[in-house]
Amino acid sequence: MGSPPVLPPPARRARPDHLPALLLGSVFVIATCGLIYELIAGTLASYLLGDSVTQFSTIIGAYLFSMGIGSWLSRFLDAPLLKWFIRLEILVGLVGGLSAPLLFVLFEYVTSFRLILYTLVGLTGILVGLEIPLLMRILENRFEFKELVSRVFTFDYIGALLASLIFPLVLVPQLGLIRTSLFFGALNVAVAGLLLFRFRETRPYRRSFTAVVAAALLVLGVGFVFAERVQVYTETLAFQDQVIYSKSTVYQRIVLTKNQRELRLFLNGNLQFSSADEYRYHEALVHPAMQALPRARRVLVLGGGDGLAVRELLKYPQLQQIRLVDLDEGMTRLFQHNEQLLGLNQRSLLNPKVQVINGDAYRWVRQDTTRYDLLVVDFPDPSNYSIGKLYSAAFYRDLDHLLAPGGLLVVQSTSPYVARQSFWCISHTLQAAGFHTIPYHLYVPSFGEWGYVLAGRNGHWRGDAGPLPRGLRYVTAQSIRQMLVFPPDMAEVPTDINQLNNQALVRYFEEDWGPYTH
Amino acid sequence: MTQPDEPAGFSLSRRAFVARTGLGAAGLLLGGPGLLESCAPASSHAHIQGSLRGASAAVGHLLRRPGGLPAPSRTERTDMLIVGGGVAGLAAKRWLQRHGRADVLLVELEDAVGGNAAHGRSEVSAYPWGAHYLPVPDVRNRELLDFLQEAGVITGYAADGLPIYNEYHLCHDPEERLLLHGHWQSGLVPELGVPTEDKAQISRFFALVDELRTARGADGLDAFALPLDRSSADPRWRALDAESFAAYLDREGFTSAYLRWFLDYGCRDDYGATAAQVSAWAGLHYFACRKGRAHNAAHSDVLTWPEGNGFLVEQLRRQAPAGIHAGTLAYGLRETAAGVEVLCYDVATRQTTRVEARQVLLATPWLVTQRLLGAVADAPVLSPAPHHAPWLVANLTVDGLPQGPGQPLSWDNVPYGGAGVGYIDANHQDLALRPGPRVITYYWPLTHADPTTARREAYQTSYAEWLPRVLAELEQAHPGVTPRVQRADLWLWGHGMVAPTPGYVWGGRREAARRPLRNKLFFAHTDLSGISLFEEAFYQGIRAATDMLLPA
Repeated sequence: MGSPPVLPPPARRARPDHLPALLLGSVFVIATCGLIYELIAGTLASYLLGDSVTQFSTIIGAYLFSMGIGSWLSRFLDAPLLKWFIRLEILVGLVGGLSAPLLFVLFEYVTSFRLILYTLVGLTGILVGLEIPLLMRILENRFEFKELVSRVFTFDYIGALLASLIFPLVLVPQLGLIRTSLFFGALNVAVAGLLLFRFRETRPYRRSFTAVVAAALLVLGVGFVFAERVQVYTETLAFQDQVIYSKSTVYQRIVLTKNQRELRLFLNGNLQFSSADEYRYHEALVHPAMQALPRARRVLVLGGGDGLAVRELLKYPQLQQIRLVDLDEGMTRLFQHNEQLLGLNQRSLLNPKVQVINGDAYRWVRQDTTRYDLLVVDFPDPSNYSIGKLYSAAFYRDLDHLLAPGGLLVVQSTSPYVARQSFWCISHTLQAAGFHTIPYHLYVPSFGEWGYVLAGRNGHWRGDAGPLPRGLRYVTAQSIRQMLVFPPDMAEVPTDINQLNNQALVRYFEEDWGPYTH
Repeated sequence: MTQPDEPAGFSLSRRAFVARTGLGAAGLLLGGPGLLESCAPASSHAHIQGSLRGASAAVGHLLRRPGGLPAPSRTERTDMLIVGGGVAGLAAKRWLQRHGRADVLLVELEDAVGGNAAHGRSEVSAYPWGAHYLPVPDVRNRELLDFLQEAGVITGYAADGLPIYNEYHLCHDPEERLLLHGHWQSGLVPELGVPTEDKAQISRFFALVDELRTARGADGLDAFALPLDRSSADPRWRALDAESFAAYLDREGFTSAYLRWFLDYGCRDDYGATAAQVSAWAGLHYFACRKGRAHNAAHSDVLTWPEGNGFLVEQLRRQAPAGIHAGTLAYGLRETAAGVEVLCYDVATRQTTRVEARQVLLATPWLVTQRLLGAVADAPVLSPAPHHAPWLVANLTVDGLPQGPGQPLSWDNVPYGGAGVGYIDANHQDLALRPGPRVITYYWPLTHADPTTARREAYQTSYAEWLPRVLAELEQAHPGVTPRVQRADLWLWGHGMVAPTPGYVWGGRREAARRPLRNKLFFAHTDLSGISLFEEAFYQGIRAATDMLLPA
């Protein structure tokens, strides 16, 4: 054991009686901070990984165990204890404070997100675990043992109560996770700063430590100011569920939200899929066409940077090449790197058969000379004039040049129930471009009734040509037949053809969806 | 458009000129507080790069004092020589080539052919410097349709015999919008918040032009045709050429301020002149000549390209590419026993070549034609001289346009009551989704004063003085746009285009002026039409080339 701490003789100006009080105040602050880090880690884990009971339970367990390691490690620290304690506060402030922003940023890039998460939790736990034992040793000569234990733990638990109340009631709603984390990091560092100035014995290293404290506060402060860049907190208010990822690329704003049941992807605020029922959408997009193409070798997917349509295509071992052209590198990178999303698309975009190209679909189609057996056209809905061009007769005529003999193309075609004119306009536009069309639809709970148009140069497609891959959850020969039936409220209506010089579809789309969005 | 006429003393290069006016402005600045104001906002656009350009006035003015040019160092013989590489000259060259005449030279003063249909190009986009669209043509204009088919603009003919246009060349939707009462409405004819009485006049006017579109004269010809020469000679229609459009409108009770703004806008846009300056025949022709038909387009549809009519110029050039010499000044034209001799000064090599041709086609603006014919007997006259307003064209690279309420960015964007005639989105025909910067082309016919005065003022205005004026215009349509402007390149056309002033089209003068001289000298230019449209220039070129091909 080390020697007892040598506290300096009381200085004339300092009020020595206040120093133990100051240290006990620190207990209160560091206890609050400690619990906050634990709550942040637990919340983040359940946001980012789902399954909140398991996440919270394992995070708390790991955190407490790490604190135990920290307590045990405290025995290896000897005088000067106050210097160690100040060092420790700076370190806790930085590690704990930066943990939330770090986890948010790394979520996109790291395949093994869990490893990073538990490493950070462990590190924070160890550092926090060191705090109380060190403090008790610093204070051991100031108080009687029973007094010491009583006071330290009283402050410790009061701090914990405070943290557990303000975290859900004030901090998360007002500051968001990232700023909460940074704010408490700064409090830890501030404790270090306070001790540095109140204790004479810190003089020899006061100057250098002050610089470190200032730098740490600067880092955390800058993080606090720019936290919006990492997570637009106000944005979380616009979504029902917790936003676990958001990023503005050159082309769009990508937002992932998560609740206990599902993960949702939004592009520019429009829902792209829910992990709960996306299989319905993507099975229906791919399999009716693929079951009719038993000899298909090459497929081109336009849009679909989430890799979910590709996941369905990979169920056909006869395919030799799948080329995906998506405008936004931000999308494809996310779905090539993030662990959870890789789980969802079954690493489809990393499959050696799959070539991912980040480029403009229209430009690509006009320069590509390959012939494909299937073209999967999975663009966002035609809500503006730029996207409307990707649904024009001219575009479909260009697609025709990419089709191998007997090839098919399938186009996601918005909702035939809500946007009846838009849906049939897409079908008629494909017809005007020289295709036979087979419109079909199904119910996707998170979208409602959703439609597709299958198109080919001849009308030889049959809904039961099979074979379908095993394990599909929605598409069967029977459900395909059902999908072809349009009840009267979605039945065909006459429409104009969508030409570049009339953009009829965008106008229909505005009319159709207007009552739902305004 | 080639060589502008300026006071003989004006021989400074544009750069030196700009520097000098800049000094003048600085002098004034020290003297008076008035200019301090106009200078203050300069800091807000200090980030904007760009330059002021114009037709090669400095080289063009050499024509006034050809004595200073080097004597010819060599002689070249050719069967035919075309002076002027605008649309008329290029169309003539193409026509001659199609009729087996390969021994044809063409000289053009500017660095590139194209004339009024000049264009530019940056990393962001190609963009027009002048003419930028072609309305879907009348199907009876066979020569033009054939050219468009060769250029890939027409992809074939439908079973009904109507041309099918390349959809990538037809102007995409949304085509036009008008900023009226703070809201961008669809289309350029004022509608939003327009009183009933005005609306009634507007409907009456459009009913009238719908009628005129199909009207014929006693001779069975269309009342309003394009090319103009195919219009009826019936005096009932031609009488409209004698009075001004404004006087006609007053008489017919078309007094609505909204309608009159729209008609004035149309005249300024197409003719560089106001309704009071052009003839009623020409004012009505603007609407009534639009009788294009197509399998996949309406008569009101237009064809357009990022580089504007620069696309058509390039297609014309490609169809007869040999023997084109840009950057070459023609002067010292002299009739000889065998034909015509023209001295051609190559600006780059600073050498003069004597070109001896059997026939010479002057496809030049009338100002230049007149000067070239100085030594030729019986040279035609065109008096009074054609009316040419100066134009300022600004190509602005913007990384966004703060959008007000209403229709989003369209091809043609016009603020009601603006000093200019609005701007075109050069990137409108892009197929790729396009974040980031784009180029808009802002057009400003300087019709506030008579052309000579406006031209003198314009030549004395520096880049630093133009820029805030252009930005102020743009700010009215898009408040807060200035910080988003990255580049502003300006082009001053001293003589923008001919205006069909009363009596110009059917007064007989232009017909007399374009008659060939002794089967040696021929003339083609829209100055000889009275309206400066691609169709007219194309027709003028073919007309003159046909004359050249006639047996002597």
